[in-house]
Amino acid sequence: MLVRATESNGVVTLTLNRPEARNALNLELMRALREAVERVASTPNVRVLILAGEGRSFCAGMDLKGVAADPVVMGSMLTELAETTLALRNVHCPTIAAVQGAAIGGGCGLMVVCDFAVTHADAKLGYPEVDLGISPAVVAPWLVRKIGAGRARAMLLMGGTMSGQAGLDAGLVTHLVAAELVQSTAVELAQRLITGGPKALAATKKWLNELDESYNREVVLQGARLSAEQIRSEEAQSRIRDRLKGV
Amino acid sequence: MHAMQISPVRVSRMCDGAVRRVTLSNADSRNVMNDGFFDAMEIALDGIPQLPSFDTKNPLPVAAVDHPFVVLIDADGPSFCAGFDLRECVEHAQSASRFVELLGALTWRIRSSATIVVASVQGAALAGGCALAASCDIVIASPKAKFGYPVHRIGISPAVSLPILARTLSGSASRMLALSGEVVSAAAALRMGLIHRVIEDEAALSSAAVEFAAALAKKGPRALLSTKMFLNRLDLTDDATAAGAATHASMGTAMHEECRTMLGSFWAARSNG
Repeated sequence: MLVRATESNGVVTLTLNRPEARNALNLELMRALREAVERVASTPNVRVLILAGEGRSFCAGMDLKGVAADPVVMGSMLTELAETTLALRNVHCPTIAAVQGAAIGGGCGLMVVCDFAVTHADAKLGYPEVDLGISPAVVAPWLVRKIGAGRARAMLLMGGTMSGQAGLDAGLVTHLVAAELVQSTAVELAQRLITGGPKALAATKKWLNELDESYNREVVLQGARLSAEQIRSEEAQSRIRDRLKGV
Repeated sequence: MHAMQISPVRVSRMCDGAVRRVTLSNADSRNVMNDGFFDAMEIALDGIPQLPSFDTKNPLPVAAVDHPFVVLIDADGPSFCAGFDLRECVEHAQSASRFVELLGALTWRIRSSATIVVASVQGAALAGGCALAASCDIVIASPKAKFGYPVHRIGISPAVSLPILARTLSGSASRMLALSGEVVSAAAALRMGLIHRVIEDEAALSSAAVEFAAALAKKGPRALLSTKMFLNRLDLTDDATAAGAATHASMGTAMHEECRTMLGSFWAARSNG
């Protein structure tokens, strides 16, 4: 099972379950995640959603191995990532990313679209796409909404990665704890959140989504199309080939 | 004997031409903006095309990149840029509004250019100088840098900078900067998100800026430029109508009697003391 769902007292945890690939996002994993998220969205008595990753890393980003040169598959993957982030944002209840190890590229996108993110100081976060000749446009709308356009501009154009501490300073992360406490802190935060009125929380989240234009599907899908176009370019393809060869 | 004409801007090539370094070099005049400055900046950016408009049907129209795709703007002397040449504005009634128009064109040129623009700010970036820095994609600074729009005291509105400023910062920070005229430290500008990195060792700023630009030049140029184009769309800084309207709003104040009076008083007070 690519995404494991567990429930306890109204708190649903969805766990990316591809630890052998550091939960790198392939089409199957993203589809499974989106379906699971949509099930949560259609279950009004779910009070909090926790998104987690099995193994050492939360999510290493898009799984480019074997598919980077296939424009049809890449286009589908980037559209699926866009749809998955839209589904996560549309969930009626608060969402928490519990991030251990790494959240890179699309994985960082999943973290940032959640309302809260818990991680540890030496986690590895960020958007190194431009280093690979790829554009992070697909996840850019969520970052701009999360940390503001000026900071997002610098972060996405500079590429590279940052520590969990730097992620907290930049506003990507809301809670920083010891690595061994990431999961339990996410659960404690969820327990605190369910003491709030579910309708009040849902109404507040919906209003925040309206205010920051999170319901603008088209701009996220435009970002996916731009990222898909860019990854087809020779600039991206040659850099990806070198990376996968370990050059 | 004529005084030697010193160009207000110096241009050099780095990284096999991938990076163009544009150094504001009129240090004795704190790199003030006047006709000579704006002319020199136009020449300095020559050959760098504008980004195409975002087209949903053709999301990646950025063609092959054969021009410098990173520009580093830095400055000689203790000030990055002190804003308009106020002596010129006092002596010639039309200069202030013309400088506003040229500033609007320059900031639009930078924001919409097909190149990643990095500003390295070592001292005061005030008024038009702050607008110049804010229009750049990435700003690094020394701890001694200062930022702000102290322009209401001369009767000019900083509206020309607002289409970018209001999209870059939170509403709270952009209103504070644009309405108060307060000059803030590099640390405060970093907290606001106006700048992105402070190099604690001020002597190392120049080399850090060069290293930074060189690191950008190693990234995928098409990826960088298409990402900039999409970011401009996301934060609406690709809106030429808004940019034009903002320039006109500032020009309106610069042409008003209030500006002439306040500017005259300000200059007289400064000259007397």
